[in-house]
Amino acid sequence: MRVYFRYALKETFSNLWRNRMMTIAAILCVAVSLALVGSALLLKQSAAQASVLWQQGTRVTVWMEPTASTTEINGVRTQLADLPIVKSCDYFTQTQDYNEAKKLLPPNEWAVLTVSAMPSSFRCIPTVPSDAFLVQNTFTGQPGIYQVTTPGSQIREMNKVIRILQIVFLALAAVLLLSASVLILNTIRMAIFSRRREVSVMKLVGATNWFIRIPYISEGFVQGLLGSLVAIVAVTALHTWYPLPNEFHLDTAALIGTNIVVLVVGIVIGSVGSAIAIRRFLDV
Amino acid sequence: MIRFENVSKTYKNGTPALIDISLDIEKGEFVFLVGASGSGKTTFLRLLLREEHPDKGRILEAGRDIGELPKWRVPYLRRNIGCVFQDFRLLPNKTVFENVAFALEVIGRPRATVESQVPQILELVGLSDKSKNLPHELSGGEQQRVAVARAFVNRPLILLADEPTGNLDPSNSESIMALLERINRTGTTVVMATHDKALVDRMRRRVVELDRGEMIRDQVRGVYGIDEGIAI
Ligand SMILES: Nc1ncnc2c1ncn2[C@@H]1O[C@H](COP(=O)(O)OP(=O)(O)OP(=O)(O)O)[C@@H](O)[C@H]1O
Ligand SMILES: [Mg+2]
Repeated sequence: MRVYFRYALKETFSNLWRNRMMTIAAILCVAVSLALVGSALLLKQSAAQASVLWQQGTRVTVWMEPTASTTEINGVRTQLADLPIVKSCDYFTQTQDYNEAKKLLPPNEWAVLTVSAMPSSFRCIPTVPSDAFLVQNTFTGQPGIYQVTTPGSQIREMNKVIRILQIVFLALAAVLLLSASVLILNTIRMAIFSRRREVSVMKLVGATNWFIRIPYISEGFVQGLLGSLVAIVAVTALHTWYPLPNEFHLDTAALIGTNIVVLVVGIVIGSVGSAIAIRRFLDV
Repeated sequence: MIRFENVSKTYKNGTPALIDISLDIEKGEFVFLVGASGSGKTTFLRLLLREEHPDKGRILEAGRDIGELPKWRVPYLRRNIGCVFQDFRLLPNKTVFENVAFALEVIGRPRATVESQVPQILELVGLSDKSKNLPHELSGGEQQRVAVARAFVNRPLILLADEPTGNLDPSNSESIMALLERINRTGTTVVMATHDKALVDRMRRRVVELDRGEMIRDQVRGVYGIDEGIAI
């Protein structure tokens, strides 16, 4: 066993070295593909995170008529407090709303406003973001309520775009992975082809199939491992030096998680690719 | 040691390579396999290695039906059979020593065994001083001696040789033949396919002749051509 271990190790590295151009090509292929896969995965997570953050920021605003009576306002307040789909609400008085409008609107527009013409409002956070519309439907048209607004259609549109982007990134990652596997399979196949003779001699002197296979598989393993390590460095560098802004910025945990996925995928592609190549092209 | 019982082999493309061969080879025998090109000699040897399966009949080696061996046991079967070919089949990027050692490493012999056995066998084939050379630095005859050393280093029960002198000049053929004889004297059964008329005639060993897959002659102290054989 120890003898074989030493043999397999020696064989693996001498093969890698003997075909070093191929080895480097294979490693670079894996590295490039996996770096793209890793980036695609990170972008997908970024998009998902941004979308969640925006949704969590979803508010429903119940605007009262400027003429609404105190009874009506209190009625809406208790109704909101009793509704389980509403997490919490802040009440903005007419003055507060006026001040906010003053900040948000261009001067020529707020100049025409007066405090008494401003609606007071409840700014509510729904328990689940998607309940925003339910809240809207419940209150629209009630006496004393001017209108109920939910997050602008802009955010909804944005989320739709992001969902499409996520699918695109995932599809891209899948295609890249596939091409990386095919490339590894091909390099191992060529390596095996150039050593068909050696393998036939091995079979002739009574080498078992696993004896023949293991050095090739560990060769693929090493290629996958080195390729994914290079990819991890690239992805980490990208993440560190070109961080994405605001909602898109991912924390280190997400980076580590992605890197682990890249590593595992690289190793699996390398080992399984070479195992398949051996089965297909060596008949051992 | 080797027994063929009504063995027939037809390749997938329909070529009948061996037809109803029955034959016994005793332990320690030396058998020449002769016949025109395409008569089935190589097929005969490939069946013994279980590189091919017979369509009909069975083959016994050391009393065991090799057709019944599970696939994973085949390498172990081959460890008892040494092989020499016309084209040497050495590993080009391993030295003479490594090529011979390879046969022992593959079957998991410890390093100490390798280090003691390999020089011994290289001595036997007269290549002690070339043990660090690569195959392409050797003459054809020397390469074939390395191949014989590799085939014999783990003392197989059977040695198969497929035209081992096919690429060699007469003097090199002689030395290979002498080696095979020596190996045979240690009790190893040798089966050698050959076209070398002079060799067969001179050796006066058992000759099995194939013709288009059929065994047309099995002679105890035979010569290459059938007519001369009858004349004696
Ligand atoms: N792998 C194969 N597939 C199909 N037919 C084959 C195969 N190998 C050999 N044959 C055919 O089987 C027959 C016997 O071939 P074999 O190689 O056993 O002959 P041989 O006696 O060794 O010839 P030679 O003296 O030229 O080496 C031939 O007709 C050959 O064409
Ligand atoms: Mg032949």
